[in-house]
Amino acid sequence: MTIEIGSRRGFVAMLLGGAMGLALTGAAIAQTSGQPVRVGGTLALTGPLAATGMVHKIVGEIYVEQLNKKKGLLGRPVEWVLLDDQSKPDLARTLYEKLVTVDKVDLLIGPYATGAILSAMAVAERQGKLLVHHTFGIPNLAKYDAQFPAWHMGPVPEKTVAGLLIDALAASEKPPKTIAIVTSKFPSVHFLAVGARDVAKAKGLTEVLYLEFEFGTKDFGPIAARVREANADFLYMGSIGLEGVQLLEALKKLGYSPRHHYYTYPAPGPMALSPDAAGALSTTVFEDQPPFTNNPGAAAFAKAYKERAEKAGLPYTLADVQGGASYAAWQILEAAVNATKSLDDKKLAAWIHANKVDTITGKLRFNEMGNYGDDLSKVKQVQNGKWVVVWPKEAAAPGAKLIAR
Amino acid sequence: MRRYLPAGVLTGVALALAGLPLAHPPAFVESILYLVFFWIALATSWTILSGYSGYFSFGHGAFFGAGMYTTANLAGPLGVPFLWTVPAAGCAALLLGLSIGAVVFRVRRLRGELFALLSLAVTFVLATIVLNTRLDGGPGVYLSGVKLPKLYASPASTIYLLGLSVAFASLIAAWLMRRSKLGRGLFAISDDEDVAEVMGVPTFGYKLAAFGLSCFLAGAAGGVHAIFVFYVTVAETFSITVPLYVVLMGVLGGARHWIGPAIGAVFIIGVTYSFVGGDWALAGRAAVGLIFILAILFLPQGVMGLVATKCRRRRAPPEAAATTAPALPVVRTLLPPGPVLLSCEDVQLAFRGVRALAGVSLDVREGEILGLVGPNGSGKSTLTNVISGYYRPDAGRILFRGKDLAREPGHRIARLGVARTYQIPRPFARLSVGENVALSAMFGAAGLDREAAERRARECLDFVGLGDRADALPTALNLHQRKFLELARVLASGARLILLDEVLAGLAPSEIDNALDLVRRIRANGATIVFIEHNMRAVLALADRVVVLNYGQLIAAGLPHEVMRQPEVVAAYLGGAHA
Amino acid sequence: MPSATLLGQSVLSGIFAGGLYALLGLGLSLSWRFLRVINLAHFGFIFLAAYMIYQLAGVWGLSPFAAMLLVVPCLFLLGVALQALFLRFSINEFGSLLVTFGILTITEAAIQWIWTADFRRLETPYGTASYRVGELFVPVAEALTFAVAVTLSISVWALLRFTYIGKAIRASADDPDMAAAFGVRGHGLALLLSGAVAATAGIAGTFIALIATLAPAQIFSWIGVIFAVVILGGLGNPFGILAAGLLIGVSEAVTMALTAPSWAPLVSFSLLILILVLRPGRI
Repeated sequence: MTIEIGSRRGFVAMLLGGAMGLALTGAAIAQTSGQPVRVGGTLALTGPLAATGMVHKIVGEIYVEQLNKKKGLLGRPVEWVLLDDQSKPDLARTLYEKLVTVDKVDLLIGPYATGAILSAMAVAERQGKLLVHHTFGIPNLAKYDAQFPAWHMGPVPEKTVAGLLIDALAASEKPPKTIAIVTSKFPSVHFLAVGARDVAKAKGLTEVLYLEFEFGTKDFGPIAARVREANADFLYMGSIGLEGVQLLEALKKLGYSPRHHYYTYPAPGPMALSPDAAGALSTTVFEDQPPFTNNPGAAAFAKAYKERAEKAGLPYTLADVQGGASYAAWQILEAAVNATKSLDDKKLAAWIHANKVDTITGKLRFNEMGNYGDDLSKVKQVQNGKWVVVWPKEAAAPGAKLIAR
Repeated sequence: MRRYLPAGVLTGVALALAGLPLAHPPAFVESILYLVFFWIALATSWTILSGYSGYFSFGHGAFFGAGMYTTANLAGPLGVPFLWTVPAAGCAALLLGLSIGAVVFRVRRLRGELFALLSLAVTFVLATIVLNTRLDGGPGVYLSGVKLPKLYASPASTIYLLGLSVAFASLIAAWLMRRSKLGRGLFAISDDEDVAEVMGVPTFGYKLAAFGLSCFLAGAAGGVHAIFVFYVTVAETFSITVPLYVVLMGVLGGARHWIGPAIGAVFIIGVTYSFVGGDWALAGRAAVGLIFILAILFLPQGVMGLVATKCRRRRAPPEAAATTAPALPVVRTLLPPGPVLLSCEDVQLAFRGVRALAGVSLDVREGEILGLVGPNGSGKSTLTNVISGYYRPDAGRILFRGKDLAREPGHRIARLGVARTYQIPRPFARLSVGENVALSAMFGAAGLDREAAERRARECLDFVGLGDRADALPTALNLHQRKFLELARVLASGARLILLDEVLAGLAPSEIDNALDLVRRIRANGATIVFIEHNMRAVLALADRVVVLNYGQLIAAGLPHEVMRQPEVVAAYLGGAHA
Repeated sequence: MPSATLLGQSVLSGIFAGGLYALLGLGLSLSWRFLRVINLAHFGFIFLAAYMIYQLAGVWGLSPFAAMLLVVPCLFLLGVALQALFLRFSINEFGSLLVTFGILTITEAAIQWIWTADFRRLETPYGTASYRVGELFVPVAEALTFAVAVTLSISVWALLRFTYIGKAIRASADDPDMAAAFGVRGHGLALLLSGAVAATAGIAGTFIALIATLAPAQIFSWIGVIFAVVILGGLGNPFGILAAGLLIGVSEAVTMALTAPSWAPLVSFSLLILILVLRPGRI
């Protein structure tokens, strides 16, 4: 955990010197003995990705605090060296190099968003470091042997996620026969939508509309008009952030509500709280609800997250995919260090490869393509202004099931 | 030798930096320096076009992106060795730039913010094409498989060295250009493009050259950067960040100076990337904003603007005593009418149906002073603009020493030996008085090289009595002096035919005598003069012959006193009632 | 071939998008033309206003339009203060770019500081309501935005054209010395105009808050297209900016209705390039 004094000193030094690459980190609170174990990473704390970067920051703070309340790592306190990559992948690369070659941190933890994670991955590869990362979206680009994803969507999510989704719908009261696919050309979203086309075809759905739009589109009116005209049983929207809500609002303005509708990576708050989003589907690996919170660790985390998110003034305070995967990443790191009693990157990597790690998102294994394992995605749905996991049955919230319109 | 000092220092610094990888510094050092080089290259390439020629590009993202995607596609899917892709990236951007320039630079009014808009629109169009075709298609281009050749030290250092090379090449190009004829021409274009063309600067070619070079360097920087980020996506590549930041760097450093944008780049990147502490990211961001504001409050002209002002102040001589140095002898000789130098044959020009020149035919003879008179709107200035190539006539021929000027661009007409002055003086506002005159000697008929042109400029300035103001900016001159600066410019150009457009307008009587004397002396140097004037007394005193225009037609020609008595002429001046 | 309804609905959508572009760009256009300030901070002010509306209406429960009456004067004062800074330090056109970028950065940081980087949505009954007119649906908030954009454009045009202040502003911009000789008080006018420009940001922000979900980083996503609209419309020309907004909005919307929506910018911006090259005298 970082403290104020160190950073203020850094701030003053920066103002005076203005030199690049000064150590900007705080000192650790020594509740355990010995030199702190330093875990380095960047997050998008400013810039367009900051909304999610902040989630990871809160989770990391919770985790490091918990660690230091126990016995740290190897009996040593843990210090998190966190830098702001300003949502820029090229800066993320440079800062990871700084963490490894100048700050000489012991362990690395991933940044947020696919581009920055790829940058960090390449640095880790060149420097022979282990990298555990939170939410990396394109598994087939994860080619480095000692990188480990905490977000378990399996090695081929473009097949498995859509398969899970369509199976869930097939088991619902009104199984869809036709599908409209509308997708943003955002890389980590686009390939999933392209895969979903094939899966839908294989599962016997008729595609009545396929549209690609530019990431950053402002006017969703014409797209909504086309969706309405196609009037498919199932609207699959490849979307990230606000795009899902934007389309939903545009549809609402045309007096149209899709029957079944799915959104890839919606910003959780706006969609849950939107009056037009009832029945919206998405996928998740963690939600602040049973059965996830039946695990005491998970319950404690979800509670701590809610408190801190409220304190930070966030409008949406429930832990979900991003928070859960973020927490899992720290759990992987801790498990490996504790099991090997070592900070050696090679030993840690070998151990993670060979073992399953129990996390709040489930039991993770890392021995398939790209060090992915099982696809742990679950289907969730907006019901009464809340996200509720509805599929598969064993993961569903008590009594919850997919509601069809 | 002081002239070469900057280049020497720059080369030394670059060589020292090139040796850095041998010391095996931490990877971070190479990486952060690379980012600085990258922005220096982009900002400098931007200034080669926008700072020098004044064509303000807001589309640098397009040229940088073209390079980025060229390397991404060549080195990625097509497997071309990486080092080859960097020049290819430059060339792709160059081609893009040239094809845009070839269309856009022909449109006279596409300057200023309209050019900025156009370049911005090109960025959007290019981004859309890349996003929707196999160049990217949406998923981004992933380049982890690309092998980096080892130049020396380590393969990772190759990126650093390439970044350094592109930055160095950009700076050297900017430095060389600034001192070259090309650079001078571009500065003139930036201040007043129309005057530059008429004075002999091949504006179209020069702009194209600057655009091409700028794009090539930006493209090459993009090619290197593709491997640095190695995951190339449309959203990152064509974001507003690149054009916005290069403009800010240029503004902060001083866009008309070769090293200004580089200083701006170092400053802005230094400040932006200094505040990366995770615990006060927002305070850091606010601090960056504050520093930008303070920087411009204290350096309103940019860093190099401040330096330039300081230098100018130091160079300025103490108030010199008025110098009178008529370097050339004054001989008033009535030459016999020489052979025809310029012959207009049925020259016609209409603006939206209004006939400004309704078929004008006239001859100008070698060595004479021809008075061209007529009431306001009679077509005098239009004719001047047609002869000097600013307007292209609808019909008719303008023969000058056997060549038809009607189809020649302005700068070629100047080269052939025609020069003009402007009724309201139009000096290049940001070039010194001496540079203004030297420019004319370099690009006009004289076609002198830089040093000869500077000598010639000094002579001409002495000749018109402005010798002590050579280092001043034209804004420091009064109207009378600016008129004389115009005269010095035409004199320096070495033109055979000089068109003087109302040089006397706005001058006090004593100044008029001065000016008339000067015109005579210019003629005595062997030039032929067309003297466009309202001041009849001056025309009568000076002209060998007079032609009178009215409503775009020639209504009289002959000896001054005779012509002025002709009833048509009297009527034209006094109004139709007397006709 | 798309149905007439689809096409009609898309054109309508494009018209409303164009109106929003014009509303966001109007202030930028005026300050660029008449103050020679390329005001990047305008984008920050728009979002600052939107967040203030969110706070007043969404959190504290005021009517959004009552909130607007509070926000617009605040923005006016902000604009006056900005111009006072420019006058005090006599910053030129390009310098203004850097200064206002700095202000934009600070504004963004301040917004993120107060409201966090997470999304904020002002929920109103009319935010997503619409009226049905024949086969077409007319969304209330967008229609209102468009009406305001048109009204504001007409008022600005009339003010510039017919009132003493408007004439003085134009005269000052064209020839400050001459205008001063005729007794025009340039500094006072500049302060007033800058305040008015920021006030338009307050109005624009109100409608952004009604229509969109807010996040600090969105500020930057508008810069490109709004700059295009402002320049295409002709600096300081309120009708031009409306026409430019409609041109881009409608051409994109129609492209999205007819082909793959991701090609939309190609059509609108190629059209823009053609106009520039063939008719550089702007639209």
